[in-house]
Amino acid sequence: MNESNDNFGELKRLLKLKQHEVPPPGYFNNFSGGVISRLRNGEASRSQTTALDRFDSKSWLVNWLQVFQARPGLIGGFATALCLLLVAGVVLVDNQDGASVTAGTSSFADAPAVPADASAAMASSVSLLPPTEGIAMSTNPVTSLQPVATLFNSQQNPLFQQAGFVSGQ
Amino acid sequence: MLTMSEPATIPDPNAPASVLEGDLVRRARRGDLQAYDELIKRYQERIYATIYHMTSNHEDANDLAQESFIKAYSALKSFKGGSSFYTWLYRIAVNKTINFLKQRRNKHHLSLDDLDFNAEHDPDLVALISDKTPQRAANLNELQKKLNEALLKLSEPHRMVVVLHDIQGVSHEEIAEIAGCNIGTVRSRLFYARQQLQGFLADYIKA
Repeated sequence: MNESNDNFGELKRLLKLKQHEVPPPGYFNNFSGGVISRLRNGEASRSQTTALDRFDSKSWLVNWLQVFQARPGLIGGFATALCLLLVAGVVLVDNQDGASVTAGTSSFADAPAVPADASAAMASSVSLLPPTEGIAMSTNPVTSLQPVATLFNSQQNPLFQQAGFVSGQ
Repeated sequence: MLTMSEPATIPDPNAPASVLEGDLVRRARRGDLQAYDELIKRYQERIYATIYHMTSNHEDANDLAQESFIKAYSALKSFKGGSSFYTWLYRIAVNKTINFLKQRRNKHHLSLDDLDFNAEHDPDLVALISDKTPQRAANLNELQKKLNEALLKLSEPHRMVVVLHDIQGVSHEEIAEIAGCNIGTVRSRLFYARQQLQGFLADYIKA
């Protein structure tokens, strides 16, 4: 590796040709001016930067996109993860619906039996109804199971008050 | 036998001119853009040439040189003065260029029409293309093209060492400082790079 012993004289002479590869005269006349103006612009814009600008919402998005640009394989992985998340969400919602249906059915099944003195026709019609219809009927047991009182019979239903006008006011 | 002139060396940092340089650096660190403008003018051609020989593209060299000076200015506060300013500046420029080249892989832009006309009258070159080479009819542009292609075939660290030492005339010690490695590594890289170049340019080099 000693330079005196190597045989690179011709190569060095050839590489000397590169020294003649220079830009045209006057090329550097405005070079430093360009750098200084860029520095001035940078300083001016920096001084105008407010605290709000520092939390630029675009920066994280740009960085995020740059990561995808650098590693295209991540896009596929990200899309797959999104799809899996979507499918998992759908399955979860379906399961919750099934659980509520089961709960509704059991509550309906646990409900007191139809009184024995009910008519046979009524009993047969109820037994023919599918369970879901029974749920629909039993979703609001307070209103459906209580006997409906007339609006004018306020003493029987304390929730209703009779409206009236006071004259002379 | 033709003699080859020694490559130009970078000025000694202890020389009087460099004392002024230290003053310029101090002023630039305080935000004096006029002082920094003076520093740019001192090194713009060498920084540009180094980047150009590594990229073989004038537009890229211009952009990278500007960006190197801008980055150096913004990092001036971190410049401790442990090395000379130009070594530090070279390091920024070379690292920036290597990063750029890694991103630009497989995109080789050669500019072959920028050869200085004076090159045709260079006695070494005249001898090289007329007497020494087997292909006497090869013109300068063709030689230039082959030379650039051969350089671009080298890896970035090897190309950097050849460009800095054999073209720019930077010493081994300074290259080691710029590249952040020891002198032995610089020498071995230089030897390996020259060997490779010799193989690539075998048609133009008399064995």
